[in-house]
Amino acid sequence: MKRARVSDLAIIVESFFQAAVAGILVGCIYGLMCCGLSLIFGIMRVINFAQGEFLMLGMYFAFYLVTGFGLVAFLGPIYGPFLAALLAGPVLFVFGYLLHQYLVGRVTGVNVIGAEAEGHYAQLILTLGLSLVLANGGLILFGSVPQVIRTPLSSTAWLIGPLLGDYVEIFINQARAYSALVSILVAVGLFQFMARSSLGKSLLAAADNPEAASYMGIDVDRAHRLAFAIGTGITAVAGGLVATYYPFQPYVGIDFVIIMYAGVVLGGIGSVAGAFLGGFVIGVVQQVSTMVLPIQLQNTAIFVVFLIVVMFRPHGLFGRSAERT
Amino acid sequence: MLRIEGLSVAYGGLKALVEVDLEVSEGEFVTIVGPNGAGKTTLFKTISGTVAPVAGRISYRGQDLLALPAAARAHLGMAHVPEGRQVFKTLSVDDNLQMGAYVAAGRRDWVRNRKRIMELFPVLDERRDQLAGTLSGGEQQMLAIARGLAGSPHLLMLDEPSMGLAPTITDAIFERIRAVHKEDGLTILLVEQRVAEALESCDRGYLLDTGRVALHGSYETLLSDARVKKAYLGM
Repeated sequence: MKRARVSDLAIIVESFFQAAVAGILVGCIYGLMCCGLSLIFGIMRVINFAQGEFLMLGMYFAFYLVTGFGLVAFLGPIYGPFLAALLAGPVLFVFGYLLHQYLVGRVTGVNVIGAEAEGHYAQLILTLGLSLVLANGGLILFGSVPQVIRTPLSSTAWLIGPLLGDYVEIFINQARAYSALVSILVAVGLFQFMARSSLGKSLLAAADNPEAASYMGIDVDRAHRLAFAIGTGITAVAGGLVATYYPFQPYVGIDFVIIMYAGVVLGGIGSVAGAFLGGFVIGVVQQVSTMVLPIQLQNTAIFVVFLIVVMFRPHGLFGRSAERT
Repeated sequence: MLRIEGLSVAYGGLKALVEVDLEVSEGEFVTIVGPNGAGKTTLFKTISGTVAPVAGRISYRGQDLLALPAAARAHLGMAHVPEGRQVFKTLSVDDNLQMGAYVAAGRRDWVRNRKRIMELFPVLDERRDQLAGTLSGGEQQMLAIARGLAGSPHLLMLDEPSMGLAPTITDAIFERIRAVHKEDGLTILLVEQRVAEALESCDRGYLLDTGRVALHGSYETLLSDARVKKAYLGM
């Protein structure tokens, strides 16, 4: 076999590129889920431990849409799963909106102006409880058997190469590649909404100075509700995309909520684009670290990098201070 | 235009305003003066809706303001430039102005208003892409006023625009306020601690003391009152 003659160096180069490509693809999807949390935690400063469960709900919603409603049979194996992931967005948006209206809204926004620690204690308890209810409720409803959205793309790859004189070949998993592409498109749409539209800016204004925002005619309570709902929807879309290549069960949220918080803080609190890049960096570090570390330690690598970045840039990679110096 | 009757506000047991009556007619320049803690800012917050009164009525152009939530009141054409400027520090100067133009009238007149604002405060044009938090105190005050103007208001409420600013900057800001009153025909309700400058510009004034209207009348009436002279003008 040809492989037997390949030098050790070529193997290392190949596995590095393989890991880097996987990291870039996974990083885009992590970036998108971080954007969702960034709206809720980074901008509105609401602590939300249930964000991982929103991701999980997005996964199951997309899963049942594909398996239960025959979306694959209707639209084909390529468009079906990705449309299902996108549809998880509006559905979880409504879920997030109602959740905020009846529950979370009581401990955020205008209701906690002047409260101790701006309502963070109450948010912590409430969303931690919500997280448990959703995860365990999911266990009852969906069962504990790990699922994955089966698409032929999960097991097909593009082959790049051979490169460097026949030695290096890189496989790009198609499910991940399409997921990464959809992630980028959704994230760019979100950035445009936040940076260009009056409604998007009004969310930033309401978070920046709620009192002044209400003098401008901005309904601060509604701004909080919208930001929470959009953040829920965005993370759910990312969940639907992850579900095409990653087996999940109702407790999957905990794996990702840590990644999301690390990504938001790494990118710089208050910047949606920063959160995307924070998530992206985490995806790359996680995948590349598997080259040198056992797989159980891949999240350790994330936090080592996280600590190093925060040590040198306490405001995160893209955080900036708005105070006059 | 704005009519306040028997307005009382209390924080806990502490009375901040006691049966205040106040009226502003279309096109007027009305000033409220008074010492620290007289309830001037509370009065403004009650008009804008971030503080709820215990008694009294406020109507704006015949509409009962107290029936509306704070955010809805801005849509009626009143702009509140709050004490301490309160610009959106993490937004750019231009985005701050755009937020001022959040109400329908502001969006409609955006191009014209923005041009007028840049004419009044050219420094804001130079700094349009800068984050508002990085502006100097005087520039932030100009931005806060400009943000108020961006909503095409009929009534401009200014809460201590001179606070913490150097006298020359204060003069410049008062001059712009007079300009929007005279040239653009805005109705102005101004709260000030700098009594001399404030009274000089106004048609009528109110003296607020420990939550009550101690005196009200024309510019001459206020200036000639012994209490005002002694306490605020050092005469």
